[in-house]
Amino acid sequence: WKKEEFRTCHQTPFCKRARSRIPGSSSLIATHVTITDGDLTAKLTPKSQPQAKPLILTLSVHQHGILRLKIDEDASLSPPKKRFEVPDVVVPEFASSKLWLPRLSEEDNGLASSVYLSDGHSAVLRHDPFELFVRDDNSGERVISLNSHGLFDFEQLQEKSEDDNWEETFRSHTDRRPYGPQSISFDVSLYGADFVYGIPERATTLALKPTRGPNVEESEPYRLFNLDVFEYIHDSPFGLYGSIPFMVSHGKTRGSSGFFWLNAAEMQIDVLAPGWEAAAESHIALPSHRIDTFWMSEAGVVDTFFFIGPNPKDVLQQYTAVTGTPTMPQMFSIAYHQCRWNYRDEEDVEHVDSKFDELDIPYDVLWLDIEHTNGKRYFTWDRALFPHPEEMQKKLAGKGRRMVTIVDPHIKRDDDFYLHKEASKKGYYVKDSSGNDFDGWCWPGSSSYPDTLNPEIRSWWADKFSYENYVGSTPSLYIWNDMNEPSVFNGPEVTMPRDVLHNGGVEHRELHNAYGYYFHMATADGLVKRGNGNDRPFVLSRALFAGSQRYGAVWTGDNTADWDHLRVSIPMVLTLGLTGMSFSGADVGGFFGNPEPELLVRWYQLGAYYPFFRAHAHHDTKRREPWLFGERNTELIKDAIHVRYALLPYFYTLFREANTSGVPVVRPLWMEFPSDEATFSNDEAFMVGSSLLVQGIYTERAKHASVYLPGKESWYDLRTGTAYKGRVKHKLEVTEESIPAFQRAGTIIARKDRFRRSSTQMANDPYTLVIALNSSQAAEGELYIDDGSSFNFLQGAYIHRRFIFSNGKLTSIDLAPASGSNRRYPSDAFIERIILLGQAPGSKNALIEPSNQKIDIELAPLWFLRARAPAVVTVRKPDVRVAEDWTITFLV
Amino acid sequence: SKPKDPFLGIAPEDDKYYRASDVIRCKDGSGKFNQAQLNDDFCDCADGTDEPGTSACPGGRFFCRNAGHSPVYLFSSRVNDGICDCCDGTDEYDGQAKCPNTCWEAGKVARDRLEKKIATYQEGVKLRKQEIEQAKVAIEKDEAELSKLKKEESVLKVIVKQLKDHKEQIEKAEEKERLQKEKEEMQKKESEEKANEAKDKPDEDMGNRNEAGKHSDVENNDVENNHDKIENLEGSPADQDEAGDKLADVLDNDDGESDSLGSEGSLHNKVEEANNAKEANEEPIIKSETNVKVDKKESSDENDNKGNGVTENTEGLSREELGRLVASRWTGEKTDVESAETDSKLDNEDHEDLPKETKKDEYEGYASETDDESNRYDDDTHKYDDEDDVDEEYQEDEHDDLSSSYKSDSDNEPDLSDNPSWLEKVQKTVRNILQVVNLFQAPVNQSDAARVRKEYDESSAKLSKIQSRISSLTQKLKHDFGPAKEFYTFYDHCFEGKENKYTYKVCPYKQASQEEGYSTTRLGRWDKFEDSYKVMLFSNGDKCWNGPDRSLKVKLRCGLKNEITDVDEPSRCEYVALLSTPALCQEERLKELQQRLDLLNVELPANHDEL
Repeated sequence: WKKEEFRTCHQTPFCKRARSRIPGSSSLIATHVTITDGDLTAKLTPKSQPQAKPLILTLSVHQHGILRLKIDEDASLSPPKKRFEVPDVVVPEFASSKLWLPRLSEEDNGLASSVYLSDGHSAVLRHDPFELFVRDDNSGERVISLNSHGLFDFEQLQEKSEDDNWEETFRSHTDRRPYGPQSISFDVSLYGADFVYGIPERATTLALKPTRGPNVEESEPYRLFNLDVFEYIHDSPFGLYGSIPFMVSHGKTRGSSGFFWLNAAEMQIDVLAPGWEAAAESHIALPSHRIDTFWMSEAGVVDTFFFIGPNPKDVLQQYTAVTGTPTMPQMFSIAYHQCRWNYRDEEDVEHVDSKFDELDIPYDVLWLDIEHTNGKRYFTWDRALFPHPEEMQKKLAGKGRRMVTIVDPHIKRDDDFYLHKEASKKGYYVKDSSGNDFDGWCWPGSSSYPDTLNPEIRSWWADKFSYENYVGSTPSLYIWNDMNEPSVFNGPEVTMPRDVLHNGGVEHRELHNAYGYYFHMATADGLVKRGNGNDRPFVLSRALFAGSQRYGAVWTGDNTADWDHLRVSIPMVLTLGLTGMSFSGADVGGFFGNPEPELLVRWYQLGAYYPFFRAHAHHDTKRREPWLFGERNTELIKDAIHVRYALLPYFYTLFREANTSGVPVVRPLWMEFPSDEATFSNDEAFMVGSSLLVQGIYTERAKHASVYLPGKESWYDLRTGTAYKGRVKHKLEVTEESIPAFQRAGTIIARKDRFRRSSTQMANDPYTLVIALNSSQAAEGELYIDDGSSFNFLQGAYIHRRFIFSNGKLTSIDLAPASGSNRRYPSDAFIERIILLGQAPGSKNALIEPSNQKIDIELAPLWFLRARAPAVVTVRKPDVRVAEDWTITFLV
Repeated sequence: SKPKDPFLGIAPEDDKYYRASDVIRCKDGSGKFNQAQLNDDFCDCADGTDEPGTSACPGGRFFCRNAGHSPVYLFSSRVNDGICDCCDGTDEYDGQAKCPNTCWEAGKVARDRLEKKIATYQEGVKLRKQEIEQAKVAIEKDEAELSKLKKEESVLKVIVKQLKDHKEQIEKAEEKERLQKEKEEMQKKESEEKANEAKDKPDEDMGNRNEAGKHSDVENNDVENNHDKIENLEGSPADQDEAGDKLADVLDNDDGESDSLGSEGSLHNKVEEANNAKEANEEPIIKSETNVKVDKKESSDENDNKGNGVTENTEGLSREELGRLVASRWTGEKTDVESAETDSKLDNEDHEDLPKETKKDEYEGYASETDDESNRYDDDTHKYDDEDDVDEEYQEDEHDDLSSSYKSDSDNEPDLSDNPSWLEKVQKTVRNILQVVNLFQAPVNQSDAARVRKEYDESSAKLSKIQSRISSLTQKLKHDFGPAKEFYTFYDHCFEGKENKYTYKVCPYKQASQEEGYSTTRLGRWDKFEDSYKVMLFSNGDKCWNGPDRSLKVKLRCGLKNEITDVDEPSRCEYVALLSTPALCQEERLKELQQRLDLLNVELPANHDEL
């Protein structure tokens, strides 16, 4: 972490200017308020200068309680150039969800106009001074508002005259800024909010601490600017590799709402502490139960979305209706990944692979970092180290395992490298401010970067992944995009200069935060193309932006092997999930440094619950494959990995839920318990779906852990089946064997208790259902199954069951739409075991219908691998098929 | 799914256990099950006793007979997983995968391989025996030599003592004479001086001036000391600033004048480095990938900077230099500038023979380490202290090297040859001298004195040679040559192996190194045997940036020649090499292999019997 290499707000002119403005300084008023093409439109002009160039405001309403506000320069007045609007982030389907507003209503004697937003909600535009807010019509209370504090400011583009010197310098880098200052800033208030969350990516707490106002010491705003930060620290508002300008609020009284600003320029966001405006005159009486925020961006337009919630999951649904739901991953990609910088050669690969088998530890993917290439030329192999890449991949594939290779955006400027030759000939590189191919320094040395903002270039890039083009690739090879912030070692702040030019004259400053997004998109498209659209892509990216969830997984970058980084991985992963990016994880073990065996074991135990579960390490670290720390630690790590494999059916079902609803796999507690205040700032525990609560152990030699279990129902310890009361903070004993994890009473989880070499061989293995009964002796849960790899599920080739237990009877119900489609996914898999937690041993038999068979009930261990596993009520071999309808009645 | 054969997956020796009664106990005592539950594809015993033939128990074991090849136990996770694991195909019976019986072919290959191995062992066992015999003889010889040397030593000691006494007495006498002479001369001079006294006035001024000069020297020292103190107080940040400056200096190719430089020598180096850096900048490829050794000064300073928010001066860098510098944070590699530095050092390096190279190398490695250390904690004084340490170590090494090379020397030297008469000759000569020389004669007879001195010098030189030989022999015999002394022949041997561009040199009981061109990196000093003499461990090699000190494990295998067959670096700076050697061809192991072959042959499948 080299603080001085990165700009502070104070060193960033637009941020410094914006932050120094005082409330009420915006004098814009809304005129010409009317309905145009089903949208509310208006002009914004300064009250004192009615002749000034107006801004054009457009307000549109979409289904499910989504309000979109756009403000831009007036195109009819021919500004110097069109400001950049981020393309290809809002999903095409979103347009069709627009509600055509028939009329507007006058409010407040013509001082304001309002339109219908959803049942019970309106959007209100106050004219003078201009302010926009969403109102709950039943209570009359505000939900979200913009410019209530009069901080709105929009710097319009200018033609440069001789006198203008707009250049900015930072540490020997000069930024030309040909259009002058063009920043935008405004305040947003979230009502009924106890906390705000979101705006990744940074290593800090889940609930965002205030950055300005009374009692705030470190006064840096949250920065959204994709950067490759060497050895980032674990508690900082500083922005890391990705940016999602989406904030979620939550409070006990109202619930959640959300605010998203689609803008890819550098953004800085202040969360204002209550009383921040005390010095200023308040011109509108606002309810005090709110959180004010201040948003600043260097460029772009106002294209903002207001989500009314009110349930936290509603907000996710609303947000992903705009930016898309997470992609459905392949089964292998949610299993365990083994990575290291670097597995050096084919022998190393073979050795690591066989060692897993020797110890019967499952893993699904082996990764190759940059050193596998010929001189950091991606799509090539160092043939001395990897003379037979196809054969190597086939060997892994023979055991159902995949390989991932790294492909970064920097292309080596080597005239003998086909990719460089092509890209430079076709003019596909990003250009420097004087129009030449931008030349920056990265792993290969002098490099250029494809301009993936351009769809034509994306398509060209995607073609590079075909089996013919990527020599040595096979169908079991998938891709890792690193350094796509983009990382430029000799650029300002280790990235691209802001005046570099993209397709259509777009300045890098306008698009910076989305560069990695387009690159990720192009790569994922490449894998789809390669498999003729039959094979789901898997691409891991480090940089991310709003919408990245549609293209694959992300990880939290170069973390460090220490307990603080283990701890902060949870708020980081939770925040990503909360902003749509469900498929994420941190490097297990920590990238930099050597973890003590205890830390490594704890990291595996926690990492087994990350949506993306990969161990990775820097090349200077000692080897740390699971078997290198003595037999006991090997066993513990193996156990942790086994937990993940046992829960794969549950995880896969959750990934499908995310895919359909946007609700993340791993969730903050308050998403499941929105009215339990004790959960609002808890970021050491988290929910996996709605049924599992997990808490990491973040300290050395911990003997105890305090775990808060929310809700009125009990929780069953995942390993012992012991019940713990809800709404209580429990002081639990902790052993080295596991971290605290609980199944919520009232849920049913499908497990697979047979372990294989990889998830591939588990496809037909039987299931175990674990039923955790609630206080009314009832429970339910879901199970989603498909082929785990193709897109056939989009045509209905899947199994989706709901299991309901009540009145002593377990029923399996089909949730798949009865489309009459014969593309159903066929499965012979059966249920081998049903475990009842919270059931007193009593009944000896159960009756299966429709087959009308009687089966035995006995006491059997909750988990089989544990020597002293406690016995629980178990139905032995019901052998009902998972794809079919059936009931099992417990006979008394 | 359930197997057709209810006893599938059970080893023959367990057959009884499963068939004896209807109720069977789980082997771990956790419970019991009945015949119907055996291989019913449902796990009843945590240890998998009830499911030897299915995948139902995660802890279970599946036995495949593999007639024609070796029988194998599989993890039950392999049963019906669609992958053929047993060559007889019995692990896959649910129809997912077709697994033909390949045991005969596989077994044949295995038998051939085993037969070859046995042949090697048979030969190797003989060689090993020879070596052990030779070692015995050689050790006896060494021991005999040692005891002889010790005897000689004691005799010679006496002689040397006598000569010494004699010499001292002569010297005393001479001293006496000298003093007498001086006294006389003094008196003479004094009288002369008295005569000249009047002319001496102006000299006093001179004296004063000298005094003043001395005084200012002291002041300078004080200033320097204060400066040191300040640096110490400020601790690492100041040093890091310096490091930053240093870096900038080097990169800028400035005059290289920097406070942080410890000595003229290093100053000189800096400038040279900078010049080289300039040249090397032309070459874009990051050289350092290859040479892991080198003192990563910049990088380790980086490391120190971590989190301190100390300004590192990157402002004056060219774009390319900046790129390289930032990249080096992740890679830990030298930037161009640094690699130039190495090259220049390597060019200067003297590389005639191993010991010299090693010394040089060690010195460099150490010096760079010292730089780090001194940047972090110490002032210049300490730095020199460290260098003293280096010297000590260096001498120690030299000593080692001398003693090992001594043997060859001694072969040519008649003096120390096995001829027993030399000592007697010496004794005789000395006796003669001592008798002849009259100690009480004054003035001392110069030729007698010279004879005594010469004889003393020669005898004490001989004594020290003998002592050094004794010490080297003792050192040698102290080593662990294995239970049967089978590693004795390793003592004066180095084994070389090539891997890509590197040559690895393993000298048991001494050290191991990696050489590329003229550069040598020490992988470790001899440490010990491990894993019941199957591994030789070399540790405390050259320091690795951001990693452990280098170390090398040499795994030993039975082979007919002493030969390094493979070297690898599985973990950063932790090397592993394979050395095949007859020393590992043990008879017991040969017997085991033969038994295994016998078993394989017994298990030949019936339909192949006629072959």
